[in-house]
Amino acid sequence: MSGWYFSNIVLIQATMTTLLLALSIQVPMRVGVFSFAGVGAFGIGGYAAAISMTRGGLGTVPAVAIGTILSGVVVFVLGLLIARLTGLYLAMATVAFTLIIAVLAVNGGDFTGGASGIFGALGDITTLSLVIISIVVVAGLTLTERGGLGRQLDAVREDPELANSLGISVTFHRRMSFLISGVLGGLAGALTTLLRSTITPAEVNFHLVVLALTIIVVGGSGSWIGALVGSIVFVWLPTWLTFVAEWEELVYGVIVTLAAIFLPKGLFGLARDQFHRYRSRRIKREAGLTDTAPKERERIALRTAEEAK
Amino acid sequence: MQDVLNAATLGSIYLLFALGMALAWGTIGILNFAHGVTFMFSAFVAHLVAQSVALPMPAVLAIAILTGAVLSTLTQILAFQPVLARARNQHAAEMRILIAGIGVASIPLAIAQRMTRSAPFGFGNSTYEAQVFEFLGLRLTSTALIVLIAGIGIGVGITWWLKVSKQGLALRAIGVDAETAAGMGVNRFGLAIGTMAIAGGLAGLAGALLTYQLTAIAPETGDQLLIKAFAIIVLGGLGSMAGAIIGSFVLAAAETVMLVNNLGTWADAVSFGLIFLVLLLRPQGILGRKAVRRT
Repeated sequence: MSGWYFSNIVLIQATMTTLLLALSIQVPMRVGVFSFAGVGAFGIGGYAAAISMTRGGLGTVPAVAIGTILSGVVVFVLGLLIARLTGLYLAMATVAFTLIIAVLAVNGGDFTGGASGIFGALGDITTLSLVIISIVVVAGLTLTERGGLGRQLDAVREDPELANSLGISVTFHRRMSFLISGVLGGLAGALTTLLRSTITPAEVNFHLVVLALTIIVVGGSGSWIGALVGSIVFVWLPTWLTFVAEWEELVYGVIVTLAAIFLPKGLFGLARDQFHRYRSRRIKREAGLTDTAPKERERIALRTAEEAK
Repeated sequence: MQDVLNAATLGSIYLLFALGMALAWGTIGILNFAHGVTFMFSAFVAHLVAQSVALPMPAVLAIAILTGAVLSTLTQILAFQPVLARARNQHAAEMRILIAGIGVASIPLAIAQRMTRSAPFGFGNSTYEAQVFEFLGLRLTSTALIVLIAGIGIGVGITWWLKVSKQGLALRAIGVDAETAAGMGVNRFGLAIGTMAIAGGLAGLAGALLTYQLTAIAPETGDQLLIKAFAIIVLGGLGSMAGAIIGSFVLAAAETVMLVNNLGTWADAVSFGLIFLVLLLRPQGILGRKAVRRT
């Protein structure tokens, strides 16, 4: 066990930072906001942490805190600015935001290290602290998925007009989702940077946006569990199948396309639906209700429809 | 003056690329994220053919156009149609078409990157040789001339076709209200395939022409153009072909100004910044129609 742990420590840590990044995209999605600003926050958090460590001489904890808070504030302000946009326009505006962050990093001169980025920002981050951070984040998100708040967020996503008329403030929830997205993205960026000790503008590109989206699409956007499933799949898949490592992009492309067509709720959504179906069938059987065969039911429905004509 | 000419050539390439995307998005409502890869892969297939046989320029262009049309049609049939058939509503369909497009885009990109080892490729073996014309102190290669004529000609042609032809009217009707259009006897399925084929063909043409113009392109070239084309469409206004023409040349002019003033590394920020500014200040674009959204 410990042998396995030490030989895979990089992957274990990567799973958790990837999870945080994926969550920064998933949280806005849960209120119906298709925002990639979390990836931009990843860049801001990474750069802020690296700069405050190498230039400001700060320790690991303050550096991560600065990166997280700064990106949270920036993305929150971004959310206020683009509050009018919806759907694809909002998605592309946030992609543009992310890419602008990269251009700023390239042109930042000595401050951001230009195209070669920043080196030597090695923080003191243990796997245990990563686990604790992940658990705290996940516990917080679980609270937003359950009970009244969970149902409110579902209403905001599925039907904003209805939510408004029920007295749920759509604007408030959308703003909060930007703030949380910024915080999570910044946290992911700061942690990743201090683990690897470097950050370059090339890391904050369209490819990272695609990776984060892929994780959510395959895992499922309904819950943090989906993001976890996706993170595990995409961090570990290349190590399980050498074929995958060789043709990584191609395999991901096929997976994403198939998921977009056949799995609207992702792997987690599929598992949950199957479970619900199984349970309702069992409850019916136990209650002594004989379930008419689906084909038979269809035939009856067709016949009644014809008779109605 | 030379800068104006360069900007016009760049704008023509942008226009050829963005026209296909604008056509598909503005009429049948499909924002094809695989458009950039269609562009690149068409040029790549033409490159593979041109490597083994020395071909004249029209043949190379024809191969690229055909490849683009086939790729784009396949994307539509294999990915976008099934997504549309399964989606619950327009909003969900939009997102999943975006995602499916990103997924599809990874496949040809991976193949091309692997076969070229991410090195740029060109049509070195083609029999075409660029000539340089000089007049009034301006330098113009024959490639740039072809690009200019093709860009402006096709741009104006498609705008005009969409305005006057019956199919153009049907396409615009789908863009306004797809269901009512279908009720009036518009063949949505056939027109969608046709539109995607034209869009892909335009991408292929743009890919081959840009490869001739720059002598070589990298497999990743399509990605950058994709974001730029989005900026162009947003700037011009969704659903307006004339807007796409204006947007292309405005973006090319702005980028050329940056290059001339030695701000080359900021040139990419122009398109990203434009997306932002236009969406905030005038979301319907220069020539777009206004959409009503409540929340």
